[in-house]
Amino acid sequence: MNLNPITLAPVFPLWLILLLFCLALVQAAIQCVVNWSKLGHTRALTISLLRFAVIALLVIFALNPSVVTRKEHRISPAVAIIVDTSESMGQSDGNGKASRLKEAKALLSEGGSPLIESLSKKYEVHVYGLADSLRPLAFGDVPRLEAAGSKGDLSEALKTISNNNAVAVLLSDGNLKWDENRAQLLPTVIVPFGDPQTYRDILIKGISAPALAFRDRNLTIEVTVKNYGYTGLTLPVLLKDSGRLLSAKNVSVQADTGEATVSLSFVPSEVGQKNLSISIPQQVGESIVNNNQVNLSIKVVPDKTRILMVSGNPSMNYRFMRTALKSDPSIDLLSFVILRTPSDILNVRSYEQSLIPFPVKTLFLTELTNFDLLIFDNFNYSLYLRPEHLESIRKFVEGGGSFAMVGGPNLFDEGRYGLSPIGDILPVRFVEGEFYRRDSPMRVRLSPAGARHPILRLSGEYREADGDPGQLWQEMSPLDGVNLMEAKRSATVLLETAVGIPWPILTVSEQGKGRVLALTTDYAWKWYMGMVARGKGNQDYLMLVHRMVRWLTKDPSLDPVQMILPETAASTGQETDIRIRFQDGVPSRISDGAIAFSVFNPQGVKIDSKIKSTPQPGEYIVSFLPQNGGIFRIKVETPVGQLEESLVVAGPLEGLDAGPDLDQLRKISASTKGKYIPQKDELLKEIEQYVQRAEKQFIEEKRLPVWASALVMAIVLLLLCSEWYLRRRWGLI
Amino acid sequence: MISRRKFLSMALGLIGGWIQTWPNLALGSLFPHFFFAQLKYSGGEWDPNPLFAEAIVEELELRTSIDARKERRVMQLTDRDIFFCPFLYMAGRYEFEPFTPQEREILRRFLTYGGFLFAEDTVGAKGFGFDQAFRREMRQVLPGYELQRLSPEHSVYQSFYLIGSFGGRQRVNPYLEGITIDNWTPVIYSQNDLAGAWSRDRFGKWLHACVPGGEPQRKAAFKMGINIIVYSLTSDYKRDVIHHPFIKRRQNL
Repeated sequence: MNLNPITLAPVFPLWLILLLFCLALVQAAIQCVVNWSKLGHTRALTISLLRFAVIALLVIFALNPSVVTRKEHRISPAVAIIVDTSESMGQSDGNGKASRLKEAKALLSEGGSPLIESLSKKYEVHVYGLADSLRPLAFGDVPRLEAAGSKGDLSEALKTISNNNAVAVLLSDGNLKWDENRAQLLPTVIVPFGDPQTYRDILIKGISAPALAFRDRNLTIEVTVKNYGYTGLTLPVLLKDSGRLLSAKNVSVQADTGEATVSLSFVPSEVGQKNLSISIPQQVGESIVNNNQVNLSIKVVPDKTRILMVSGNPSMNYRFMRTALKSDPSIDLLSFVILRTPSDILNVRSYEQSLIPFPVKTLFLTELTNFDLLIFDNFNYSLYLRPEHLESIRKFVEGGGSFAMVGGPNLFDEGRYGLSPIGDILPVRFVEGEFYRRDSPMRVRLSPAGARHPILRLSGEYREADGDPGQLWQEMSPLDGVNLMEAKRSATVLLETAVGIPWPILTVSEQGKGRVLALTTDYAWKWYMGMVARGKGNQDYLMLVHRMVRWLTKDPSLDPVQMILPETAASTGQETDIRIRFQDGVPSRISDGAIAFSVFNPQGVKIDSKIKSTPQPGEYIVSFLPQNGGIFRIKVETPVGQLEESLVVAGPLEGLDAGPDLDQLRKISASTKGKYIPQKDELLKEIEQYVQRAEKQFIEEKRLPVWASALVMAIVLLLLCSEWYLRRRWGLI
Repeated sequence: MISRRKFLSMALGLIGGWIQTWPNLALGSLFPHFFFAQLKYSGGEWDPNPLFAEAIVEELELRTSIDARKERRVMQLTDRDIFFCPFLYMAGRYEFEPFTPQEREILRRFLTYGGFLFAEDTVGAKGFGFDQAFRREMRQVLPGYELQRLSPEHSVYQSFYLIGSFGGRQRVNPYLEGITIDNWTPVIYSQNDLAGAWSRDRFGKWLHACVPGGEPQRKAAFKMGINIIVYSLTSDYKRDVIHHPFIKRRQNL
């Protein structure tokens, strides 16, 4: 029951109050009739009226009347102004126009009635900048805004500000990330910037290329080209490797989509990091030229490791090494065994024996670079190779190839190799007067460097069981013959004889871009059969040979240092983190300079970088701030080798699609139940009209119970007291 | 009462036996790149051609670049050094006693992990004596594998000479047999008694006549011997892509 402004809220049921009222009325009437004869009609009536008045008041109290007052209040909405400050807002749309951001800033804080000032007179205004992230701005920050950063996430931004704001006003060209499903429906008034009719640009919008390619296998890169204002034009797309043209194709941009895709292919012939660029020549009238080129870095690896092995004679060393090499399906082995020397006498005509000519010229002057690894196994070069062949081998190694010298008495041709061009690249040299020794068997042991070198990090069952890397080599069979050599200063000895003078047995070194290994024994096969004789497997020997090959050919899986590049593309001005992980057994001492990190910019200049450790043991993060785009080199140097990777940093505006996307803005306004206001003349009025709809109002209601008044209680008491007094005076009590 | 001579001979025998069974010392002995290790077994006649090695090793050194030693070591399957013998030779005339389980296991490991066995039946009676016993043992040592005739394309016929005719002291089979595991044939078996054709006395006289072919048959036995040895040291390298077309062209001449 609501009798505005007085409201009754009975404390008892209404029927009970009415019943009591009626009973009281009857009682008052009976009292009047009884007193009528005793006191006369005036006095009887007076007493009865007094009693009736008291009863009536009590009934009114039971009805609990309240006085209700209402007051209306209005609240002005908080307005969020979001300014898109991403890179695309820095573009102008031709015809001498200012940039989109500059136009937006002028609208907000310049002219006769700046939008911020006008709105803040009536409403609470919050200003935000949106690019890589949403950041709140003071009003004074707006004139200093610069266009930088990638597309902002508007869905996330609206979700963030929806608690404190009733309406959002967005100033953007439509290059935003937008996900309707994630968006909070904060009404958004959109003021568009940019003119699709006048904007002209050609850009490489995207490329699809593998991070890893195989040597001598066709590599295809998909390039998506987009245009604004050049529809129907045929454009050349060029693929270059350090300025050298690898592939080119023409692409015609279709009118309907504005995008076209073209495939560029080439066959990488060399292993290593390929720093490529894809570009489209600049066209007349383009707004942005930097987005006509994209850099990319692709690592080229061999699909199979191609090995050329020349063995000086049939031997167990050759057979077991061949067995090990053949057991690895990733190895493509071509071997020559010198079955007879010029001093051996042939007793049959040439067509009755299976010997083929040894094609030294073809192998060592023409085809050598098609191999990854050259192995000389106990091969006496002086009978077959001429100085130009040896020179070719030296160049092959210095250019990035790998070379292994394995064997016994002919291994170094009694020192003659030392005087040849190969002598320069070998990791060992002969000791005066000492050559090959085959007298008492010699055991070998790990050198300190060998204990942590990737070649000898064999994961055989014995090593793991014993927990001692040297234990395996104590079990290995002794060698019946070794060459007595000394390691060069630039070389690393991995295995050495265990007793007496520690003659190097397995020695490695880096030579130019290549790697060299010397295994100065022709009895390494005893390591294979020795373990079999002990009732163990042949895995250690097989793994040793596999790891020698993988180390020599720079197989990344063997790198003691792993570099993990960022998954998302690095860009200029953004701190870039690279994770460096050291495998077990590699000392990761940064503090004492044992490990050095260097970052080089595209000009080859070393730039500042920071190193910090992570909770993971042996893992670090190298951070640097690229100031410009291009291909950066990251180099890690450790006592056991070095690792270098390339990282492509996108330059300013590279890949930027700055075409105004007004359709997206319309879509956003519709889905947020906001308004799209392209006309800036009436902008303030339009915004105000819209904002007013979002105004909130509420009515304040106050309720004052009547019976809570002391005066009313006093009147009741007064009436009761008066009745009592008159009854006593008139002799009824 | 034991005599001084008997005591000393027993003592020397014990020391010799101890040295023979001392594993480290045994493993520490020197092994030339190529030598014949002849298998001594129980029963039958394990050494029908004791003078076979010198002539074939001479021939090997004369014709090939193999670093060979004119040496024949007699081994038993229980010798741990057997794993360092590049070429294990086994010959016989008669049926021999079955290998013990331990011997079979050693021979299985030896052959499975890269060892090579050339076996010869010098009597040349198919299904009889040594032939019967050897086939029986091979079935036990390498169950699931059978001695099979090696096809003319097999590397052993092309490893050094291009074999056109089959030699030996006798001409029982115009082929070799073998057990092939993957691309490697660790067991090659002949019944033509090649070693008999190679055998000569200390004065250089051939010990056995080669029938029915005479000296050309002996020459062919040497060629086959060299091919088997080269195969044992080079495996199937003649099957590599670069060699195969040359060999095919020469075979077609």
